[in-house]
Amino acid sequence: MTAPAIGADGFRTCQSTGRQIHAAAEPLIKANAVVSIVTLLIGATAALLLVLTRWQAVHLLPAEWYYRLLGVHGMNMLIFFIIYFEMAVLWFASTVLLNARPAAPRFGWFNFGLMMLGTLMVQWTQWTGRADVLFTSYPPLKAHPVFYLGIILFAVGALGVTGQFFATITLAKREKRYEGSMPLVVYGAMTAAIIAVITLLHGALIYIPTFLWSLGLIETIDPQVYRMIWWGLGHSSQQINMAAMVAIWYMLGALTVGAVVLNEKVSRSAFVLYVLFISMASAHHLLVDPGFGPAWKITNTSYFMYMAVLASMIHGFTVPAGMELGQRLRGYTNGMFDWLIRAPWGDPGFSSLVLSVVVFGFVGGITGVTIGTEQINIIVHNTLRVPGHFHATVVSGTALAFMGATYYLIPLIFQRKVAFWGFAKLQPYLFSLGVLLLSMGMTFAGSFGVPRRHWDNSFQDAMFDVEMSPAVDLVLAIMGIGGVLAVIAAFGFIAIAVKSVFFGEPIGTITRGTPMVGVPHGLTHPPTHAADADARNEELHAPARGWMGPTPGTVILVAIFFVAFMTYYFTNWKLLAFLWRVG
Amino acid sequence: MDPSDPRAEERVPLMQRLFDNVWLLLVAGIVVMFVVYTGWGMWEILTLPAGTLP
Repeated sequence: MTAPAIGADGFRTCQSTGRQIHAAAEPLIKANAVVSIVTLLIGATAALLLVLTRWQAVHLLPAEWYYRLLGVHGMNMLIFFIIYFEMAVLWFASTVLLNARPAAPRFGWFNFGLMMLGTLMVQWTQWTGRADVLFTSYPPLKAHPVFYLGIILFAVGALGVTGQFFATITLAKREKRYEGSMPLVVYGAMTAAIIAVITLLHGALIYIPTFLWSLGLIETIDPQVYRMIWWGLGHSSQQINMAAMVAIWYMLGALTVGAVVLNEKVSRSAFVLYVLFISMASAHHLLVDPGFGPAWKITNTSYFMYMAVLASMIHGFTVPAGMELGQRLRGYTNGMFDWLIRAPWGDPGFSSLVLSVVVFGFVGGITGVTIGTEQINIIVHNTLRVPGHFHATVVSGTALAFMGATYYLIPLIFQRKVAFWGFAKLQPYLFSLGVLLLSMGMTFAGSFGVPRRHWDNSFQDAMFDVEMSPAVDLVLAIMGIGGVLAVIAAFGFIAIAVKSVFFGEPIGTITRGTPMVGVPHGLTHPPTHAADADARNEELHAPARGWMGPTPGTVILVAIFFVAFMTYYFTNWKLLAFLWRVG
Repeated sequence: MDPSDPRAEERVPLMQRLFDNVWLLLVAGIVVMFVVYTGWGMWEILTLPAGTLP
């Protein structure tokens, strides 16, 4: 097979997947992905300096630069890196996965330009000390008006791309580029797009008056109203990530091991639960705020939010179970875990997928649900346990899934081989280990009362004495080592991406069945099912197999997850009982 | 409808039609969030009694 040319209709056919890729969509995917990586570099550089400051034995930065870079880190990692990549995902899902042309690609460049302009404005104000207001920019802290305007322009551009996503899938349906329901991965991207609209509307609601306040046109901004609406942006933006991440899980499963969708109805229902309920997780940040009653807090963070937690647990089962069933249909049927042992662990797309699922679920998910409980939140709020939780979700979950997707985007979209292939195979493991140590270190430090967003853990200039357990130094060192490892792996990923995209070897001809340096296993060895897959499927679903059904390995893994979940949950209630004695 | 009628094969189940309706999901997602979180939250803040200094 050789690289095909672009046809008169603007499409080229991907030699690996057979998909139709439109010439106007490809550069939009590339541009958003490249800027995403650049902002990752800025955010990761800040991360290194920050973790070497919170590691009390090193304590690198002066206070002013610690707080400044904390804002830089938050904006670049939680907004720019993630949302640029999501824009790439939206373009990819709506065009490549539907074999469709993009709606109004020139408008896409206009929106990209708005986002870029906004990004540059925010970077300028933050790096020059004109916006030392942290990521949350809570009033009465006030930044330079350009900071708020930059965020507004970025959000308007992102909202524009989201609108184009809806237009593109509507166009694809009208032009009969697909029949019936849209593919599940696109459905997941659509879920992310809907949550993005909810998120960006909240962003507009709060940043436009705050911008006017910074100009002196509005006298005050109510801090409680600000916090409530801002978190509709700040937390919901991370739910866009989660929906996009789950969509990528399904995609990587299919690409790497031929994963199947166990049940379309169940997986789509879970995505709809995200659409309806996940944005309410924003209320977690307000659980100790005095302005809201328990009914509002518990309804948002428990009754309704648990519907979204249910959705995550559904995906947490269906993704690995789909991989198991796919592997069994390919012939890996021995025992409980032959399908897992014989998976392509050297494929960075596959290892990223598995590590993303495991760390997201076991660390990020379990800690998130636990600390989001109103009673337990009182011993967690504003401690390092909170960033310990979200580094496991956003970094080891979302960012790692995005990295795994990049290892496939490089050959499929950029048509280049993945550079530094030997390191690329190790990178997901190093990154995941680093973030795991970082997250665990933060979680344990927070359990000892170490505050988050705090420059000096020794409180040396404070008006009061704070005695920390000696164990804090140990867990902060673990956090520091983990952080350094994670940043090294992130820098390695950036080097791989930059070298591949700008100086990489063209993909050329992919010879199926032969391993190739720089080409993921799923492309050289497409995971096709055995010729008698239907018969095998029937056999796997036979009632005689008992209650564990066709995916017994996943059932065991899920049982381990539930034991871990219950243990952590009840341990926290016990901790609460120790700290807050009643009677 | 007679199962042999070709129209029976084309009939898409109601839930599938609802789940496939992007615009319905978009509106539902926005409404639920803005009513339960944002609207109710605003009402909670606006109806807070004013604090008095001791």
